Amino acid sequence: MSDNLLKQIWERRSLIILFALNDVKLRYKNSVLGFLWSFLEPLLMLAVLYIIFTNIIKSGIENYPLYLLLGLIIWYMFQRATSLGQSSLLERAGILQKVYFRREIVVISSCLTAFIMMGFEIIALSVFMVAFHFVPSITIMFLPLLLIDLFILSVGISLFLSVLTVYFRDVRFIWQVLLQVGIFVNPIIYQLNMFPDNIRSILELNPLVSILNAAHDIVLYGTLPTFQSFLYIIASTGIIFIIGYIVFRSKEKEIVEKL
Amino acid sequence: MEADDSIIVNNVSKHFKIFHERTDTVFEYLTSIFNRKKSFDMLDILKNVSFSVKKGEMLGIIGLNGSGKTSLLKIIGKIYAPDQGSVITKGKVTPFLELGTGFNGELTARDNIIIYGVILGFTKKEITSKVHEIAKFAEVERFLDTKLKNFSSGMNARLAFATAVEVDPDIMLVDEVLSVGDISFREKSFNAFMDFKKRGKTIVFVSHDVNQVMKLCDNVIWLHDGSIRAYGEPNEVVKQYTEFASTK
Repeated sequence: MSDNLLKQIWERRSLIILFALNDVKLRYKNSVLGFLWSFLEPLLMLAVLYIIFTNIIKSGIENYPLYLLLGLIIWYMFQRATSLGQSSLLERAGILQKVYFRREIVVISSCLTAFIMMGFEIIALSVFMVAFHFVPSITIMFLPLLLIDLFILSVGISLFLSVLTVYFRDVRFIWQVLLQVGIFVNPIIYQLNMFPDNIRSILELNPLVSILNAAHDIVLYGTLPTFQSFLYIIASTGIIFIIGYIVFRSKEKEIVEKL
Repeated sequence: MEADDSIIVNNVSKHFKIFHERTDTVFEYLTSIFNRKKSFDMLDILKNVSFSVKKGEMLGIIGLNGSGKTSLLKIIGKIYAPDQGSVITKGKVTPFLELGTGFNGELTARDNIIIYGVILGFTKKEITSKVHEIAKFAEVERFLDTKLKNFSSGMNARLAFATAVEVDPDIMLVDEVLSVGDISFREKSFNAFMDFKKRGKTIVFVSHDVNQVMKLCDNVIWLHDGSIRAYGEPNEVVKQYTEFASTK
């Protein structure tokens, strides 16, 4: 089953990449600052949060600006990927109703759009590291693996959400609200040890918490995540992806008629 | 399955639910649970349709609006799944249900050729090497780097057709695409179809232009209310169809 999927997806990789690149291109086409926006958006957010959390509320986190920026970059990737992925079937309804190709392709390419945009932001992060005279330790080489895991997780959630959104259009708004909440229940602006233990242990079920913690560990603090949390990241991503995929497959034949 | 059959449509039926009030939101869905009444009708689009097309044959499909022609093409092209029956196709199928599917006005003609080609099954490398050929056929060479939104609709159609022809599939599904464009474009596309036929490609051709159907097709199906009303030699079927249509 998945063997077949991977093979067909690989055969149509041109399409996935082209959809994603054109999306990125169009996104910045008619703006004065062009793709500089991809730097400015997180930087403005960073500036605001930094001022609040270093002057008004003391966070006491080591390398706080980099902590914040890294968290935001990962969070934006997840937020954009799932938002774009969620509406991808509706956005490309015209094509889906006229030509047959694996329908997963539009969802994957939307997540790839977000992934490419994250690439620009990672460049911004490294500029910041230089500016702060921060030298990351060797553990940073695990970052790409972590980001690929984040990508797979985003695709899994998007597969599920995109089908649901075809049937119920207002799921889009529900998901946007959840994403708004998400920024406060993940270790992005602060660490989760601010919460009481019982609440924290519930929040930590969210695989993004483990991913963000792991990213902070390997990039900023030169430590590896525990084996347990490593396992949790892989397992939760796998399970979410498989659920998303199964839901998508079960409705695949019907989706196009409902668009 | 006979060896020289290229498309076999076996007992295909398809129905759609026509909702009186569509439940599009979670809220509407929840209220509809408490408010149980039948909110849709079943509309039979296709009823037990069976036929086969030989390799190198050009089959025309005619019929009134709403007789199921486009749905039938979409089922052959795997875009819709049939409720009953099966469709077997041999080789690469390319549907031209609408020219320029996926075109984006904000991108240049070159970018659009590439994305359209890739949608239809090329790799990026293959289509990039054909861009000039395509632009030449479409007579838009000078405008390759112009944004598509500045193209006339005729230029648009020519560009899309030129790209689609390059794909060179084994089976083409064509829906009304020749009705756009001026005389010279029609001539050109007509010749392109004749050329396809000569090279042994299978074509299913939906049209309202019965003269074109008689000129191009080897066999014709007259679809009426989702069933095959007549099948056979073009002149004969078209004659029955026009007689029926004029009495309506």
